[in-house]
Amino acid sequence: MSIGNRLGSPAGEPIDIKAEMRRAVDSLQSQTHTKDSMTSDLSIDEELNLHSIGWEPVELVCGVSLFSVPMGVWNWGQGEITWASAAYAHAFEGAIARIHRECAKAGGHGVVGVQVERSIHRHHIDVTLLGTAVRPVGAKRVQADQVFVSDLSARDFTLLQVSGWQPLGLAVGASFVYAPRRSIGMAMQQKSQNVELTNFTEAMYAARESAMERMQASALSMAGTGVVEVKVTEGPMDFARHAVGFAAWGTVVRLAGDTHRTLQPSMVVPLDDPSAAFEATALRGK
Amino acid sequence: MPDPAPDLPEAASRRFASGAFTSGLTVPDFAACLQMGLEPVGYVQGFCVMQWGWYGINSPYRRGLTPYGGGQGGYMESWQCPHGFVSAEHRSWGQNYQQSWVENAWGQGFGSAYSRMLEEAVALGAHGVVGVVDTSNRLGDLGVLEFHVRGTAVKVDDAPGPPGGQPWTTYLAGQRLAKLIEAGYMPVSVAAAVSSVRVWAYCMTEYLLEGTNSSWGVAQAGAEITQVASAQMAARQIAREHVRSQMAGDSLHGAEMVVSDRELGQGDQEIQCVLRGNRVRRFKDFDPMPVPHPTVRLS
Repeated sequence: MSIGNRLGSPAGEPIDIKAEMRRAVDSLQSQTHTKDSMTSDLSIDEELNLHSIGWEPVELVCGVSLFSVPMGVWNWGQGEITWASAAYAHAFEGAIARIHRECAKAGGHGVVGVQVERSIHRHHIDVTLLGTAVRPVGAKRVQADQVFVSDLSARDFTLLQVSGWQPLGLAVGASFVYAPRRSIGMAMQQKSQNVELTNFTEAMYAARESAMERMQASALSMAGTGVVEVKVTEGPMDFARHAVGFAAWGTVVRLAGDTHRTLQPSMVVPLDDPSAAFEATALRGK
Repeated sequence: MPDPAPDLPEAASRRFASGAFTSGLTVPDFAACLQMGLEPVGYVQGFCVMQWGWYGINSPYRRGLTPYGGGQGGYMESWQCPHGFVSAEHRSWGQNYQQSWVENAWGQGFGSAYSRMLEEAVALGAHGVVGVVDTSNRLGDLGVLEFHVRGTAVKVDDAPGPPGGQPWTTYLAGQRLAKLIEAGYMPVSVAAAVSSVRVWAYCMTEYLLEGTNSSWGVAQAGAEITQVASAQMAARQIAREHVRSQMAGDSLHGAEMVVSDRELGQGDQEIQCVLRGNRVRRFKDFDPMPVPHPTVRLS
């Protein structure tokens, strides 16, 4: 195990984990409670990463929004389904605004590890954000419009900070586009062929361009220089197979200082051979 | 070994006295526990099967009787139709409210299963229970929920008994528990709570969920559905407050939040949020580790 010589001890001096455990158990005999109670969905590794750069978790926070999509907008038409694209953007805006308020109220400066859940229904689009509000240790409160929201894990947030960059917020872009109808003749002609359905390909490209453009515009509006960890989803909806949707979101970043700090990682060869985990398949050479 | 708890099944008492230990730990977790001075003494479990009725005496299931009833204390918000009187079927008011009787029943079920698990741990003379797993499953379609809480009871080498005779518990085990201890946190107990929020949609919410416009031009589709968004937020916030009330100044670590919706009628729904995590207490001063050195794996 590698736990014996890491934390809170001079380099190379192993911690007596058995003694630490006894000390921890003995501490329960006294009823001393700390005042800095926090809630967090971070793992212990993530929390230690945060502490290493002088940040701490504060509170588990969330933001939810549902935005209505009017009846009939999914019916076959041409071009972009603007109602749906706008509803998607508004649902994200509402959820982000609420998680900002929760974060500021808890005394956080930002939210990391945000889980983004979105569901597209025929008549409404739902967005839920859940993450842990964090702040520099002992920092004062900030206003809701000054906090950042990021779907980067605490580990990636730490790496970003160490590299001299800072997250600014979530950038989102989405577009829903009708796939143009094929003529009856063309549909019949293509029925028995292996052929590209160019109407769908073109619709996908149109949706992709609009969504990516909106996400980049969102990043620029936050004075960001780029977006990292971009996630994309695309495809038709169950209830509207004649339309395609494309959505993209990621964390907006910019340099906190003048230049990027080079990390110079070390190369390591892990020695944790799979057979050490007593997997029967590994022992059989499979 | 202390005397078993009085309501522990006789067969369980005999099994605990057999000499061989049982454990739910993986081999790596088992090895890590031994290195920490934790000796597994038994795989302990608690069960409880609960039933509660939607139309019970405490259930304010009375749409149409009163627009502002149903409050059992706790969260409640009301919405008023902007149209005035339309018809008896028109949803002229809406309400979100906390279903405290559901929360209490869940708390009772989880709490009973948890305390039964602890009884077994006490019977084994354990100081704590590590690697706790809790599940709740619906039994059939009867409104019956089975709670099952289990974990591995451990003894700490040469340590005095737990304070108040109550073993500490944690969802963590093995290396993750070791890192928690190294980081200066001692697990106190697992913490879990549920919140339940009922939504009675009023006309505007109903229109928006169906994507329709109001005939009077008051409700325009393409707007935020604030009643449902508010209920979703409330469910999460109430669960968080419930867990916070169990903390007594300690912290919640490694939380997991699970939210489920259940459609009960047109626009009406119930939102349930389960929040669980490890209640931990700092036992030594904060001592940050050095900034981690990045590595690249050559595997």
